Amino acid sequence: MAAAYRWNFAPVFENADVLWAGAIGTLRLFAICVVLGFGFGLVVGLGRHAKSRWIYLPATAFVEFFRNTPVLVQILWFYYALPILLPFEISPLTAAALGISLNSAAFSAEIFRGGIESIDRSQAEAARALGMTAAQAMRRVVLPQALRRMVPALTNRGIEIFKMTTLASAVAYVELLQQGKLLASLNFNPIETYTVIAIVFFLCLLPMVQATYALERRLGRADA
Amino acid sequence: MHVWNFAPVWANADLLALGLLNTLKVTGAALAFGIPLGLVLALMRLSPSRLLAWPAVAVIEVFRTTPPLVQLFWFFFALPILLKVEMTPYVAAVLTFSIQSAAFFAEVFRGGIVSVERGQWEAARALGMAPRQVMRRVVLPQAVKRMIPAFLERAIELMKTTTLVAIISYADLLFQTNEVAQKTFRPLEVFTVTALIYFFVIFAASTVVRGVERRLAVSGEGMAR
Repeated sequence: MAAAYRWNFAPVFENADVLWAGAIGTLRLFAICVVLGFGFGLVVGLGRHAKSRWIYLPATAFVEFFRNTPVLVQILWFYYALPILLPFEISPLTAAALGISLNSAAFSAEIFRGGIESIDRSQAEAARALGMTAAQAMRRVVLPQALRRMVPALTNRGIEIFKMTTLASAVAYVELLQQGKLLASLNFNPIETYTVIAIVFFLCLLPMVQATYALERRLGRADA
Repeated sequence: MHVWNFAPVWANADLLALGLLNTLKVTGAALAFGIPLGLVLALMRLSPSRLLAWPAVAVIEVFRTTPPLVQLFWFFFALPILLKVEMTPYVAAVLTFSIQSAAFFAEVFRGGIVSVERGQWEAARALGMAPRQVMRRVVLPQAVKRMIPAFLERAIELMKTTTLVAIISYADLLFQTNEVAQKTFRPLEVFTVTALIYFFVIFAASTVVRGVERRLAVSGEGMAR
C-alpha cells in the first residue's frame, strides 16, 4: 500500500473569495429560477385545470415535454441552438435560467394542479353561489387552502432547483461548482476542493431538507 | 431567417445511435447496482442496531442532499487520486449513479417495507419464522409490488440524470450530440433532434409507468411512495 494521501485544505481556504463569488452566482441563479419556475408553474398549473381545450392542450404539451427531457439537454439547447433562431446572443445565465425555470415550471405545475384538485369541488361551488367570480373563488378560497397542502412538495422542488444550478457550470456560468473546477485546476487539488464544494452544498441543503421533513410530518398530522 | 437542414443530422445518425446505446448502458448498469445496494441500505436503516443504521442514514442523506454533478466530479477527479487508481468516465458514472440512485431506492424500499402492517410480522413470527424469513417470504413480496411505480419513476429520473456524464466526456447521447453539432455546424438541428429522442424514449417509459400505476391502483396495491 502506498503512502496515504496527505490532505491539505489551506489552498482552498486561501481562495475563499473565489468560492464566495461562485456562491453568489449560485444564489442568484437559484433565486431567479425559484421565482420564474414557481410563477410560471402556477400559470401552467391553472392552465392544466382549465376547461377550454385551447388552454388545456398547450399547457399539457408543455408539461409533458419539459418533464420528459433532461434539464441539461434543455440548458444546452437554449445555449447552443436557440441563438441561431434569434438575432442576439444568449448568455450562460440566461440559458441556465431558461432551462432550469421551464423545467421547474413543468414539475411545479403538476404540484399546483394536484393541490387545486385536492380541494373539494363544493368549496368553489359555494364561493360561486356567494357571488364570487371563478377567478375570485380560485384566489380567495381554493388557492389559500391548496397552497398550504403544497408546501412540502414545493420545498422539495426548491431543493431540486438548488441542486440543478450546478448544471449551469456546463455553459461556464460562474457558480460554486464552476469556481471549484477553476480552483482545482489552478492548485492541482481536486480532492480538497471538490470535498469542500460537496460539504458547502450539503450544509446549505440540509436545513431545507430537514424543514421539509418537519413540514410533511406536521401536515400529515393536521390532515389525518 | 434560418433555413432548417436536417440532412447533416441523418448523415451522423450512427454517432447518435451509439450515444443512445451508451446512455442506456450507463442507466442499465446504475440500476443493476443501485437497486440491490438500495435494498441493503434500507434494511440497514431499519435495523435496530445503531452500528448498521447510522452509516446507512449518512450515505442516504449525503447522496440525496448533494447535487449529482458534484458527486460525479468528486468520483471522477478526487477519488482516483485518493485511491491511486485509474478512473474512466464510465466507471465514475456507474459508481456515482449507482450510489446516488441507491440512496433514493433505499427510501422507496423503506417506505414499502414500513407500509406492510405490523400484524403480518407478528403473525409470521408466531408461525415460527425467523425475522429474516418474515422479511423474505412475507414482507418483501408485498412491499415490492407496492413499490413498482416509485421504482419505475426513479429509473426515469436516473436516465435523465445520466446526461451529466457528457460533462466528463463519456460518449453518451448528449456528448455525441455536441460532437456532431461541432462537426456539422448545425447545433440547432442536432440539439433539437436529440431533445426529441430523449423525449420519445422517456415519454414512452412514463406512459408505461402510468399504465402500471393505474393497474396497481385498481388492485389496491399502489400506495407506497
